[in-house]
Amino acid sequence: MSMSGISSFSAKHMNEIGLVVIILLLYLVFGNTAHGFTSANNQLTILRDVASIGIAAWAMTLVIVAGEIDLSIGPMVAFISVVLAFMLKANVPLIAAIPAALAVGAAFGTLAGLLRAYFDVPSFVATLGLWSALRGLALFMTDALPVTFNENAFMERLADEVFGIPTSAVVMLVLFVVFVMIARYTSFGRSVFAVGGNANAAHLCGINVKRVRVIIFSISGLLSAVTGVLLTARLGSGNAGAASGLEFDVIAAVVIGGTSLSGGRGSMLGTMLGAFVITLIGDGLVLRGINPFFQEVVRGVIIVAAVLANLMATRYRGQRTIRGN
Amino acid sequence: MTPKLMKASVATGGDGVVARVRGVVKKFPGVLALDKVDFEIRAGEVRALLGKNGAGKSTLIRILTGASAPDAGEVSILGHRLDQPGLSRTVEAARYGVRAVYQELSQVPEMSVAENLFLGRWHRARGLLDFREMERRTRAILDRLGLDLDPRAQIARLSPAQRQLAEIARVFLGEPKLVILDEPTSSLAAAQVELLFKAVRTLADDGVAVIYVSHRMEEIRQIASAATIMRDGRVADTVDVAEASTRDIVRLMLGHDESQDDVIAANPRFGAAPVVLSAAGVALPPKLERVDLELRQGEVLGIAGLLGSGRTELLGVLSGLAAPTRGEVCIDGAPQGNRDYRQRLRHGLGFTPESRKEDGIIPELGVDENIVCTNLDRVSEWGMLSWPRIRAAAEVIIQRMSIMAPSPSARIANLSGGNQQKVVIGRWVHAGSSILLLDEPTRGVDVEAKRQIYTIIRKLAGEGKSIIFVSSEIEELPKVCDRVLVLRGGCLVSEYSAPSLDAEELMASCLSAI
Repeated sequence: MSMSGISSFSAKHMNEIGLVVIILLLYLVFGNTAHGFTSANNQLTILRDVASIGIAAWAMTLVIVAGEIDLSIGPMVAFISVVLAFMLKANVPLIAAIPAALAVGAAFGTLAGLLRAYFDVPSFVATLGLWSALRGLALFMTDALPVTFNENAFMERLADEVFGIPTSAVVMLVLFVVFVMIARYTSFGRSVFAVGGNANAAHLCGINVKRVRVIIFSISGLLSAVTGVLLTARLGSGNAGAASGLEFDVIAAVVIGGTSLSGGRGSMLGTMLGAFVITLIGDGLVLRGINPFFQEVVRGVIIVAAVLANLMATRYRGQRTIRGN
Repeated sequence: MTPKLMKASVATGGDGVVARVRGVVKKFPGVLALDKVDFEIRAGEVRALLGKNGAGKSTLIRILTGASAPDAGEVSILGHRLDQPGLSRTVEAARYGVRAVYQELSQVPEMSVAENLFLGRWHRARGLLDFREMERRTRAILDRLGLDLDPRAQIARLSPAQRQLAEIARVFLGEPKLVILDEPTSSLAAAQVELLFKAVRTLADDGVAVIYVSHRMEEIRQIASAATIMRDGRVADTVDVAEASTRDIVRLMLGHDESQDDVIAANPRFGAAPVVLSAAGVALPPKLERVDLELRQGEVLGIAGLLGSGRTELLGVLSGLAAPTRGEVCIDGAPQGNRDYRQRLRHGLGFTPESRKEDGIIPELGVDENIVCTNLDRVSEWGMLSWPRIRAAAEVIIQRMSIMAPSPSARIANLSGGNQQKVVIGRWVHAGSSILLLDEPTRGVDVEAKRQIYTIIRKLAGEGKSIIFVSSEIEELPKVCDRVLVLRGGCLVSEYSAPSLDAEELMASCLSAI
């Protein structure tokens, strides 16, 4: 690659480069101060935790790029785990129970999408309603007690590892590749960017804006359901109170990843790195034995600082490039 | 080059100078935006400011309003030299009476006309906002402008032209000394232009100096006494508008003789060509009364319509964005009845909207994606998008449309208005559309880009595409159309065919009493 090639590459991917630097810094700091941070075991824990944010974050990236928001992630994950656990408890065969659980997730997502696309209910409100309703429904169905089910080889496999890597992380990576392809190489993916960039213009170009708006929420519901299935396997039960506040980690990962909250711009790779940043911060603080209440404070500050540093770096880089030309 | 000062201003002596710019140099990365510019304007003078995009007009305006500080040279308003740095410089200039209205509106759509007028300069009574007083003063200004607007009307509910006029009303606040209007008429139709001219004359009579940036020669001749023409960051000349011909001025703008500014050869023989798009008795009350028209293959059909003539409604009905209450639209002889906009696109229609920024471009995406978004199937392989194909398809259009872009993947937001417009038209060429509905395709575009767009449209017609060209800039229609229909009061009132297309006659037909 020529010098100008390198500099245009780095200008284009300034955000991602910045995140990699932040991740290396986190490893450097926590590696030296938090006992066991760099151990192989901890790396697997980190991968598991990244998966629980990442899978939902792939869909959230599309949602935010389209100029929308989905707040219902956490309750959706918990609700799906309860639904799946009930089905398994009733001895519904896995081959039917898992697709059914995924379908329920997609259906609730679609509902939010329909409200947004056809009734102009702002997605913030539609998914806020879903957020409350699903959490309530899950608690109501279980009386806030865990729903256990009989031992099941497949579910154990999901909670376990394949080739030494947590199964959930493998699922996350496979879905990552799928979503990179969707975002970059499908008409639907590019339509999401067009709708988020300028919905009027997209409509006049013949893009079915309503359909795009429905599908992104269907996908978001589906991927929350996938997260719900993996969580059920990991906990060995359905839990109405699980994944509390997960939506904020997911949104934070997407935004740290450089996706614009006003829509039209974003990257899956950025979201992946963002998910790592969030997870590493959480993991490092736990291992350092910081007071759990104070961890929240540190996390909040680091998240804002990371986004700020990224914005500054991108701006600085942008100016340099203009002068260079 | 030493700029020649206007004879008239020399005669009035040095006292009445409102703004003086001396030896101003302004550099931007890689560009010398202003190169030792001298400029002077006197009280009561209306001065036109012309130049191609990038000639330095906007930078000169920013220097005068204090939005930019010069790298060398000095600016003084009423003898006070602007010397504040940064933001306080604009405050300083505003205090001396500099007011500017930009092409891009700066209004809060959710607020009322009065609230927008007093934005940041609210009237307070006992610490609370005094809406009654603000509305009273707004009404006084609107009356002075001859505008029939309710001060309490929400900006979002106004038409683009009304919004523009409401924005112009701002300059009347306080004590303006120098008013700068940057292409104020780009969204106005003739009747409102008259209102604006009246307002400008009122200002000038009160001794306010007015700088009037425009591309429309006809308006400049009506309103300005002198015109300053900029080119490549310098003042090319300041001429007496009455003595200079349009050709002289175009020559100063471009720096070379402009010989192609003639009527482009049109083809009046369309009787035999098949009708590709027709409307029979379509109506969409209250704006569209009844319209019958036929568009033939390979024809450029102009629709001359001022604002409020029903042109937006007519295009809506033809494109399927709006359903007519009566009548029928046919494409290739097939009634379109229930077919909506997207279905008509698949049957060969293409539509470019009037407001390029709001409805045309997708700013975050590249030129390439802005082109291919009308038909992604053509750049797909095995159901997946192929980026090499996208690039190739975009390059074809970039070449055919003479689009100036650093690369096909360059963000469209960084292109000039003219090039953005070429992309917006070009995306339908990519889609393979055979019928193009172009709504004000040259709005806010510089002279050279306009001519390129005319040439492109003639070329597309030559290839057998049929085009409807809607414009309120009547004088451009004879340059590009084979036939022109005049729309007034929701009806087609007259028809003219090449070669007997005459701008004055068309304008007269648009204007005559309803």
